[in-house]
Amino acid sequence: MSVALKAQSVSIAFGGVAALQDVSIDFPQREIIGIIGPNGAGKTTLLNVICGMTPPDEGEVFLHEVSLTGMKPSHVASLGLRRTFQSSQLFPGMSVLENMMCGLHLMGSTKLFGAIFRSQAMKDEEAEMRRRAMEALDFVGFKHFADRPGSALSFGQQRIIEIARTLIYEPKVVLLDEPAVGLSVTRVAELETLLRRIRDERGVTLIMIEHVIRLVMGVSDRIVVLNSGQKIAEGQPAEVRNDPMVIEAYLGHQAASE
Amino acid sequence: MQFFLGKRTFLIVLFGALLLIPILSTETQIFNAYQFNKYHIFIANLVMLYIILALGLNMLIGFAGQLAFANAAMYGIGAYGAGLLMKHFALPYWVAAPGGVLIAMAAGTLLALPALRMSGIYLALTTLAFAQFVWWLMTHWTSVTFGAGGFIPPPIDFSPIPVTQEIGIYYLTWVAAILLYLVAKNTMASSIGRAFVAIRDGEVAAESLGINLFRYKALAFAISGFYAGTAGALYGGMLGFVGPESFDLLQMILHKAAVVIGGLGSIIGSVIGGVLLTVSVEITKELKWSIEMAFGALLMLFVLFQPTGLVTFIKRWVPGWREHLQYLPEREAQRSIDADEFVEDGEITSTDESVQERQP
Repeated sequence: MSVALKAQSVSIAFGGVAALQDVSIDFPQREIIGIIGPNGAGKTTLLNVICGMTPPDEGEVFLHEVSLTGMKPSHVASLGLRRTFQSSQLFPGMSVLENMMCGLHLMGSTKLFGAIFRSQAMKDEEAEMRRRAMEALDFVGFKHFADRPGSALSFGQQRIIEIARTLIYEPKVVLLDEPAVGLSVTRVAELETLLRRIRDERGVTLIMIEHVIRLVMGVSDRIVVLNSGQKIAEGQPAEVRNDPMVIEAYLGHQAASE
Repeated sequence: MQFFLGKRTFLIVLFGALLLIPILSTETQIFNAYQFNKYHIFIANLVMLYIILALGLNMLIGFAGQLAFANAAMYGIGAYGAGLLMKHFALPYWVAAPGGVLIAMAAGTLLALPALRMSGIYLALTTLAFAQFVWWLMTHWTSVTFGAGGFIPPPIDFSPIPVTQEIGIYYLTWVAAILLYLVAKNTMASSIGRAFVAIRDGEVAAESLGINLFRYKALAFAISGFYAGTAGALYGGMLGFVGPESFDLLQMILHKAAVVIGGLGSIIGSVIGGVLLTVSVEITKELKWSIEMAFGALLMLFVLFQPTGLVTFIKRWVPGWREHLQYLPEREAQRSIDADEFVEDGEITSTDESVQERQP
């Protein structure tokens, strides 16, 4: 088992409130890892620390042994770590295809002058971007939406396209912040299949925060439970489900002792 | 149909007409039949300057979404930079004008520093303060800028081409406007344009896709500084006079009105906006209305009732006007998401079930 991403003794406090306390997690390659925990457990903070948006007070994050300390999110993204957000973040002012091409922004090697003069190299590059964007849309089955404006799609469709946009740059690790929020039962089932395909066909490590327990228990290879900024359990879904600490965190002390 | 009504035809007709106006005027003595006089040439020249100004400002506020109010100051820095380099250092226009443009571009890029920390109304106020500071320098730093009375830069030598300064600057502006239109169109159709719109529509998401916020904000400010500086250097040459009253707050409102009337986030919209603005200013003057009130009201009406500008009407009804990127005001973008949220492929998408499943 090779480790794709490693969080090592990560701690962060916001004005005296410890959002994460000494959290260490190894995320193995080609696995789906679910992060669960009650509200305010520090799940989103953990994702923000990993992707470089919030620098931790202490501890380090390594992507394939490379320390991400002090890197901006755009730099982390260039190393092959991508993420989605809790609310849909498709750019409403662009078509779906243009949105996807934004995911390939770092592929662009021709800069200002290539763009101004529409050089051949730049046209070739645009064509290549378009091809890869269509391929990624095809992967999630939304090729026919390419020319629609991003804002004209339903919330659920936008979320899937957002996931496709993270895949386009061939990332090593993708962070998903509540991908199933607001999706219908059939959509959640489709999402589950999609996440498995991403892991198996693309070899991507998926780290997912999710409240839809049926999804997270069904699809995850491994589950990490956070509570009040601390890791309280880690393991296979079945192990975690029966862990008394986890039950206590979710349902309170009395329920756990009954 | 598309061929005759498309935006390419519009541009050819517009720039063709602009090319012909001085030739058909009584000034050049080529065809005396038409009654175009010096004043008409001046207005046509202003049309082209406002096209350049609107293009530059639109890339900054319409595409990159940076609400900056310093465009008139950049315009002034271009004009003053070019004029003062000629006046103080006796440089020829061909050196002084690019110098003025570079100074305006540098000043514009500096404004990207506050833009990295601020956005929206805070950025607007900071850039407005900067613009007022520049204006203060123009009026008060008399030893360098000649103060409130302005100054007359040395005449521009077009030799060996046998044209007057007026006609020379006119055609220089004509070439500049066409080139800068093409540059704007190509740049905004590239990954740079997409990066700008990504920053406008969602900074956090843009950064998570590897878009370097500082680099692209600085680029947006530099580009708009370059455009405004170019317009300024040409304006000084056209007028043969540079004074602070041309670069005050009203000027900023005019630039903004040109962009908003034409269409935020639309390159062809800026061309339309530049033309319509100059024409409306002339009509307002003719009717002896207050320009400040007329354009303040016009700007407000557009922001309230047609925030995407006139170009969306044209795009809806006339074929051949499609552009790559779209501008959606926040509330419209939000509305289209809200409307879809709970109905997906005809089925009811309820968030209730996920709420129920929050407890294991």
